[in-house]
Amino acid sequence: MSAPTVGTGGGLDTDQPTDRHVDRRSFLTRMSVLAAVGASAVSLPAVAHAAPQAVPSAVAVGIRPEALADITELTLAEAAMLISRGRLTSERLVEAYLDRIGAFDDTYQAWNTVVADAALARARSLTDPPRRSLLYGVPLAIKDNYFTAGIETTASSFAFEGFVPEFDATSVAKLLQAGAVVLGKTQMGPLATSRATTPAGVVTTVNAWTPNNPSTNPGGSSTGSATAVAGRMAASSIGTQTGGSITGPSNAQNLTGLKPTMGRVSLYGIVPLTYTRDHPGPLARDAMDAAIMLQTMAGEDPADPRTQGLPPVPDLVRAATPVNRGRRVRWSTRVGVIPGFTSGTSETAQANTAFLDTLADVSGIDVVDVTLPEEWDLLTGGAFNNVRLPERTEPFLHIMREDLRLLGVSVTSWLQGALLGGVEFITGQRAKNLLLERVLDDLFDQCDVVVQTSPVPFDIIGLPELALPIGFSSSGVPIGTILGGLPFGEDRLLAVAAAYQAQTDWHLRRPEDPDPDGPAPTPLGTPRRPYTQRPAGVRAAARPRPERGRLSADEVARRSQ
Amino acid sequence: MAPTPPTDAELDTMIIARLASMGLDITQLPPGSTADPVTGSPGQLSVLASLRSFMRSTVPTLAAYVVPGPGGSLDPRLSQQGAPPLLYPSVTSAWTDR
Repeated sequence: MSAPTVGTGGGLDTDQPTDRHVDRRSFLTRMSVLAAVGASAVSLPAVAHAAPQAVPSAVAVGIRPEALADITELTLAEAAMLISRGRLTSERLVEAYLDRIGAFDDTYQAWNTVVADAALARARSLTDPPRRSLLYGVPLAIKDNYFTAGIETTASSFAFEGFVPEFDATSVAKLLQAGAVVLGKTQMGPLATSRATTPAGVVTTVNAWTPNNPSTNPGGSSTGSATAVAGRMAASSIGTQTGGSITGPSNAQNLTGLKPTMGRVSLYGIVPLTYTRDHPGPLARDAMDAAIMLQTMAGEDPADPRTQGLPPVPDLVRAATPVNRGRRVRWSTRVGVIPGFTSGTSETAQANTAFLDTLADVSGIDVVDVTLPEEWDLLTGGAFNNVRLPERTEPFLHIMREDLRLLGVSVTSWLQGALLGGVEFITGQRAKNLLLERVLDDLFDQCDVVVQTSPVPFDIIGLPELALPIGFSSSGVPIGTILGGLPFGEDRLLAVAAAYQAQTDWHLRRPEDPDPDGPAPTPLGTPRRPYTQRPAGVRAAARPRPERGRLSADEVARRSQ
Repeated sequence: MAPTPPTDAELDTMIIARLASMGLDITQLPPGSTADPVTGSPGQLSVLASLRSFMRSTVPTLAAYVVPGPGGSLDPRLSQQGAPPLLYPSVTSAWTDR
């Protein structure tokens, strides 16, 4: 690695991405300051940042004609710009999304709870946008394993049924502080294990691209968060990933998902599945939207020690801003291609090849073949992946004692976790260290970012991943891929994705509405047309349809992230 | 000489005893192999079969692995020096300037 570079102001030299910036001196300085502060540190606000962070650049995107013709088509960036300039109100945007929820969510079943009245009331209160706003007034969807004050948080489980937190998860609090509007909570796999189902395994959410075919993989477990955005029922959403649950739904539904490095976003106030592998992050419409979301969510949290002492959050908005219309990447980057990525004649293989060809044409990107580290399959597969299981058992032990059926269709892997001994657990933690060493020394010696065929290896060791659309199958189902980065290299991942998306339009394509009799499009600047099916009050989840199928406990255990 | 692998009955006894020692009672699950229609929870026989498979695959694989020591040595006296356990390896990489 090159030597760390520190800017003259004590912050980051923004001419290099964070993955080449490991700044231990800054960390030690911060730690000494915090130690000197001592007990007074507890008086910091709940989401104070002890570490210096970059001030994000102003968002500057063009507003597409399609978005002017229907405001639910606006990206988060476009919506925030229009709201901050007084050309669009948050209330109007919330109404438009609620109309679509009322029209289509009986089919999509993306939502567990919609807080229609509360969202409208908040939107009406947001009448004074700051001069520079990242997401003021923009309506969002929240996965139902994030605590939301006053809103039921079930994690799609019997165990949390009726649980209403008194506080927001830190990342939700940060989004609210930035002016976001919470539309509601989204359907998810039971306790974040599989695709979205009821706690008893009945399939709920469908892929927005094939709403009448529940067998199409919608991605799990942040399924509802993905469908809510893909179906234009929210501008953006947040999910969690333990074994692919941000990247998987994003790839399945033509979205850009960003799973940040472990520690980049606080986990405080999120129902745990695996303490050491749960990653909160956005599912968004493009790289810029993902950058805005992560910029807002990221940073130190006094309530989560995993977030402390890390490199400052860089200017992610700048990272996601294309250079020279995407003809050049912001930072010279070697994109590593692992064996087998383009093998075969499948539509996915063809899309992968075209993806690499497009990247290779971007100035500053070198596409290079790389080899995987020694024992890759062993250290990232089966048994070593199962090392995570005791981490789900321990926090649920008292609930399991009460009644194992409170774990519903998911109970098997919680029982597996109870059987794994401390010796095997320690071996697994040593193997994680070994795997990271090999990834840093062997894999990232050959490249700066690497394409992935599975999210699990980088989930095991907490490295960042960005999922993005790269094409469609002949049957119209999205094809996506995943880029993995060095620790805290989200900015470089965003820069590569921004260059690619400036050259392609996959990410701009939207699925057809499931019902042609839905609400009329809402053009910018025209009077709103009333729509009778708009939800009011607190709307509960649509009734599950047994004909969509039901996952067995064995299937959930096999698919569990 | 390697010990004789446990039989199904021995594993069932171990699994039930281990769970019971933690206060977990698998008789809360439906008898037999049929899932509970209300909660989707698997039957006791189904879950025991799954847990036996887990014990026969995951545990032996992890127990057999030798973490390499300095220079890649698999000598158990040297392998003890390799790769101390890390719960959060990527976070630690920032703390240690990796």
